[in-house]
Amino acid sequence: MVKSLTAIAIATAMLLGLALFEWFYVADQFADFGEEVQTLYDKAESGTANAEDARAVQTSWETRKSRLHIWIPHNDVNKLDDYLAEAVRLIGEREYPLALAKLEILLHLAECIPGTYRPHVENIF
Amino acid sequence: MTLVIIRTAIIYVALLIIMRLMGKRQIGEMQPFELVITLLIAELACIPMADASIPLLYGIISVVTIYVLHEIVTLLDLKVKPLKSLISGKPSLVINKNGIDDYQLKKNNLDVSDLIESLRSAGYFSLDSIDYALYESNGTFSALPKQNYEETQTSLPLVIVDNGKYDAKNLQIAGLGVDFFDNLLKKEGVKKLKKVLVLTADGMGKIYLQVKGEKFRTLNVSYPGGKTW
Repeated sequence: MVKSLTAIAIATAMLLGLALFEWFYVADQFADFGEEVQTLYDKAESGTANAEDARAVQTSWETRKSRLHIWIPHNDVNKLDDYLAEAVRLIGEREYPLALAKLEILLHLAECIPGTYRPHVENIF
Repeated sequence: MTLVIIRTAIIYVALLIIMRLMGKRQIGEMQPFELVITLLIAELACIPMADASIPLLYGIISVVTIYVLHEIVTLLDLKVKPLKSLISGKPSLVINKNGIDDYQLKKNNLDVSDLIESLRSAGYFSLDSIDYALYESNGTFSALPKQNYEETQTSLPLVIVDNGKYDAKNLQIAGLGVDFFDNLLKKEGVKKLKKVLVLTADGMGKIYLQVKGEKFRTLNVSYPGGKTW
């Protein structure tokens, strides 16, 4: 009985701890990434963004990506990866209107993805 | 992750309810909640293993959630009496001194042929050779035979009428016609065939008859032409 209760308490604490960590960690990572993309977006909008700015965002994303793979399905990570790679190339070629479209998608994804892992009714069912 | 935990818990509870509703037919030597665990664990572990796009952590979290739920359900099963019958179910007494309890059979999604099959598996071939029979909560079958029950098992009884319907195959094996049994039922005061829960006949002329809602009766008859099998 004591053993069972201890096991239940430990396992429940572990699950809740991980769930809370995931909640805040994923939200933080995407919030930071969103800020970086927003800065790049603003620069691209004003026509001052260059390949180095875009690559800096990409490098920062690469570091985040390796950690996010543990917490969220890899398809979501890959989706962001693809749009960012396209945006980096377009900024390098100074194709700002096209790059802005890709960056907008990235901003939208950075805002939406953490919400898809929250325990909302629409996500549960 | 919260999603995985909630979804796993929902599936666990839903499966447990379904297993309980399905009755004892679906479970074999396991309590319903143990069967649910067996069904879920393998799948939960396999999906992240086979699909590389799902983090392995999701599989681990699901399995740990199942473990926690299982421990909670086991504790409730052991310590809270009223919940025990709700979680694991109760044994069902399907044969008593009055014969077959049709209500208990239906409650567990079983019919007379399932019961006879269980009896045969337990080594009892004649319905009148046992006093009590029950399906345990884990789906196993237990029977208390009558004293000297082996003496009553002289020939293989065939189910002639099962829940108000003649079994054409068994009638053919017995080599007897419907008329013979219709006359027999008339003689016994049974007006409608659909009122008969079960009628078995063995090769020595022993008939086991139970009308729905009544106590069983056994008769000894002579078959036309002295047929035996």
